[in-house]
Amino acid sequence: MQQAQGMQSTLEDFFKALRGSDLEVSLNAQVDAARAAQLIGWRERDLLKSALGATLAKTQPDRAVFDQAFDRFFRFDSFGVKGRARPSSPAGASQELQPDPESPPQQGSGQGQGGPGGCQGSGGQGLSQLLLAGDSATLSRRMQQAAREVGLTDIWFFTQKGYYTQKIQQAMGLELLDREITEARRQTLAPQRLAELERVRKHLFNEVRNFVERKLSMYGTAPTRELHDDFLQTQKLSNIDRRDFARMHEIVRKIARRLAERHARRKRREQRGQLDFRRTMRANAAFGGVMFETFWRSTKVERPRVVAICDVSGSVRQYARFLLLFLYSLDELVSDVQSFAFTNHLVDVSATFESLPVEQAVDKVMQAVGGSGTDYGQVLEDIDEQLMHRIDRRTTVLILGDARNNRGEAHAEIMKTLYGRARRVIWLNPEPVSFWGLGDSEMKRYAPYCHIARECNSLRHLERTLDELLRTNSASA
Amino acid sequence: MKSLHDSHFDSVDVVLSRLSDVDYIADRQLATAIYLAFNLEKPVLVEGPAGVGKTELAKSMASILEVPLIRLQCYEGLDESKALYEWKYGKQLLYTQLLKDKLAEMMQGAVGLAASIEKLHAHDDLFFSEHFLQPRPLYQALHQERGCVLLIDEIDKSDPEFEAFLLEVLSDFQVSVPELGTIAAKVKPLVFLTSNNTREMSDALKRRCLHLHIPFPEAAIERRILERRVPGLSETLNRELVAFVQAVRQIDLKKQPSVSETIDWAKTLLLLNAEHLNLDLVRDTLYVFLKFEQDIASAREQLPALLTQARKDAEMAHATGSRHAKHA
Repeated sequence: MQQAQGMQSTLEDFFKALRGSDLEVSLNAQVDAARAAQLIGWRERDLLKSALGATLAKTQPDRAVFDQAFDRFFRFDSFGVKGRARPSSPAGASQELQPDPESPPQQGSGQGQGGPGGCQGSGGQGLSQLLLAGDSATLSRRMQQAAREVGLTDIWFFTQKGYYTQKIQQAMGLELLDREITEARRQTLAPQRLAELERVRKHLFNEVRNFVERKLSMYGTAPTRELHDDFLQTQKLSNIDRRDFARMHEIVRKIARRLAERHARRKRREQRGQLDFRRTMRANAAFGGVMFETFWRSTKVERPRVVAICDVSGSVRQYARFLLLFLYSLDELVSDVQSFAFTNHLVDVSATFESLPVEQAVDKVMQAVGGSGTDYGQVLEDIDEQLMHRIDRRTTVLILGDARNNRGEAHAEIMKTLYGRARRVIWLNPEPVSFWGLGDSEMKRYAPYCHIARECNSLRHLERTLDELLRTNSASA
Repeated sequence: MKSLHDSHFDSVDVVLSRLSDVDYIADRQLATAIYLAFNLEKPVLVEGPAGVGKTELAKSMASILEVPLIRLQCYEGLDESKALYEWKYGKQLLYTQLLKDKLAEMMQGAVGLAASIEKLHAHDDLFFSEHFLQPRPLYQALHQERGCVLLIDEIDKSDPEFEAFLLEVLSDFQVSVPELGTIAAKVKPLVFLTSNNTREMSDALKRRCLHLHIPFPEAAIERRILERRVPGLSETLNRELVAFVQAVRQIDLKKQPSVSETIDWAKTLLLLNAEHLNLDLVRDTLYVFLKFEQDIASAREQLPALLTQARKDAEMAHATGSRHAKHA
């Protein structure tokens, strides 16, 4: 009975660790995993791994994440002992078979040795002895036990490290060790013993602290990451640090997947007015040919063809980066993305995106095209010359820029032509609406020729815009 | 007659050896998934490149368990009437015509419409009973007295609507037919769903299944597969051939040769009485395991290098193989 419980709590800790690795595990899968573990047993590490893997990881990429988390979690958290290496203490020998001392089989044996952590009276006495003797196996077990008692798996922020380190040491019997040290100090007769005790105390602290740090990286990442993700999504894109890019890409990909899932189902749409004769006959045969139920021809809704034109000058480049990242992550839903970048003239960058992974491509484009001195007038003329013939009723034109033209010619009439030709013109402006038209901003002159013109400066905004792009497209098809 | 759950797997190793008895060579990962699927009574979603034996796995399980294999091939537009059941309209119509007199007889003595209908109702829904039901694969699978292996092949080709419809079948092994009520499985079938990943399956579906990914096999396993599937193939040729295919999988191809292609190629070489791989032989038979013109072209370019590589690997395999044999 106790064994089953120990198993259960080990598994629960493992689920927590999985969350820390960004793998969401449904309750259903957890139940399956528990049953699987019961069936398979804990004896064989590889077997357990593939059994838990089959129940918990539902896709191939998930499986890779799972494997990593498994290896990290079911690792022997040994209590390192310097100097006095005792290579094979009896309990240590079983390490290979039982990957994790937290797992039940060893708990049973731990009980035999004076109830680790449970009774601190003898435990404390034992602690100094154990440390001096360098009994790594028993110490590790006691450390695990203590960790469980103080609820280490609830750790989620690095400032809690000290607290937990202290708590675990206490649960292991630090108090008595300290008393011994004070005693030794008072007696002054055995300075060697004092030095020895102080050395092991320091060692204990280091080991426990390292242990807590490892656990923090396992359990603590999930909640902090959620907070951080929330922050990143609402933060202005231009303010986001370079070190957060990797995470941002991950978030963008996640959102893109969500959008893809939401819109994949809308791809078929009934064309009211055209009877699907074959299906109707077939379905209504049961009613003797009386058409109770009608079926209509459906057409696959065309996926939007998008021409994205991005300003990549200093102030706006960050936005362009994420817009492009988004568009290319949506390749399932968007049939054809052509992308152009500009500061003072238009450059076709689609080829770069096709040949390189998006993250690298973005960097490359930024380097090649970026600069200062935006010239919207010139760019619009370029569009008129190079691009206009490719834009027709099926194209959605997505323009990203602040419309700050350095007081050059605006060429709003080209926008008007564009507006007339394209299915939709969407202008995303990182500046708040109240700034439009102030200073050298030409936004007020361009906006009338856009189907949608809106402020867009965080991931949330981007998501909403793209959601709309996909939705209105299928509705009007 | 044996039923599905008369069979019993004590451990993963038993699964492995039973599979190998029917010439299906698998690794432990796969055997674990099967073991769990059988004991937890959960469907398995099998993914992996085409031709690694996803469908074959279901067939092998059916023959191990000595139960029928019921296969539902998915395609775009597959709907309930083709997957679950359909009313035999023709038969219904014919019977009402034939029984017209009987019906008239029955109705005798009934005065008025209400009374006639009352009388009819006394005979239940005669024409919407199981006699007039055309069972389709899913219905058949639930109705097998001894259980069965249900293979839902290429689920990724079906529409999302159908996928949603499957959920009830997969989680509770039952379906609801409006006219007949809920039909539950007599013996829960062992269900395999295969997918080539042309689209992502919904989370709801994935949640109900165990996940198994069958990759291209390692050389050692592929050699054993060839031993079983192409008897008569010499050991040296087997080694060289597998080493070559494994090397080909490393180069950038549109479609990588799968196990089924390796088997085809082995059979071809056997027919040609080949003892060793050589440049001409490989060049002439490339098309057996490469299916695209540009793949053939790019493989042809690198042929000498691939062949040397393969020979080296084959020798290595031979050396380690014989060392293992000595140990054993």
